[in-house]
Amino acid sequence: MPYLVQLQVVEISKLKLGLIISIVIALSLMLSLYFFYDPSEVSRLFPKCPFYSLTNLYCPGCGSQRAVHQILNGHIITGLRHNYLIGLLAVVLGYQTLLYATHELTDRRITNLLHQTKTTKAILVMILLFWVFRNINVFPFTELAP
Amino acid sequence: MENKPKRPANYLALAIISTILCCLPAGIVSIVYSTQVNSAYDEGDYDKANRASKNAKTWGIVSIVIAAVGWLIYILIFGVALFGAATSGGNF
Repeated sequence: MPYLVQLQVVEISKLKLGLIISIVIALSLMLSLYFFYDPSEVSRLFPKCPFYSLTNLYCPGCGSQRAVHQILNGHIITGLRHNYLIGLLAVVLGYQTLLYATHELTDRRITNLLHQTKTTKAILVMILLFWVFRNINVFPFTELAP
Repeated sequence: MENKPKRPANYLALAIISTILCCLPAGIVSIVYSTQVNSAYDEGDYDKANRASKNAKTWGIVSIVIAAVGWLIYILIFGVALFGAATSGGNF
């Protein structure tokens, strides 16, 4: 059965526009802070993970500040090694952008893999396993630690 | 032909962002709901799918906002103190 996506015309209100603009400004300020300062060098400036501080265990987000600093400075591999989930996020966002562009620009209808229960469940399991494995202090799991 | 309602958004990207940014495991909750959107929709339980979609969005946004506010407070307190110490000579 052909599945047609209904296209909606979205009207952006002034309030929403203001919100978007302030988010963009805040985001660029934050990113420039992470561009110029290395969280592993000036660690006092940046907040530590509350989960790590409380439990001494890494959470799935640990290392993302260092990763953002490295990636913004062009060291993509070094950045990813601090937190591999950023790579997963890039894949998901890239896939959605690609799919959106295909649907907007062409008549081709591709089944969205992210709409499949198997995919979302696999991602959930992946993140949970990542969480567990990065806390195991034995090679090769140490690679996953931030 | 059965008339299916539109598939609700599963906010997976938002959920992953909140997991990476926020050290609070609230992002995981968001991903769980995001998974439920797909499974409930495929089972034909559209009400449940809609509710899961709303929950995924709420948990994702709430954890991002909490992280952003916490981050801002931290940067304001420690950043200002650090720059203050740096500009006042820092030799004490």
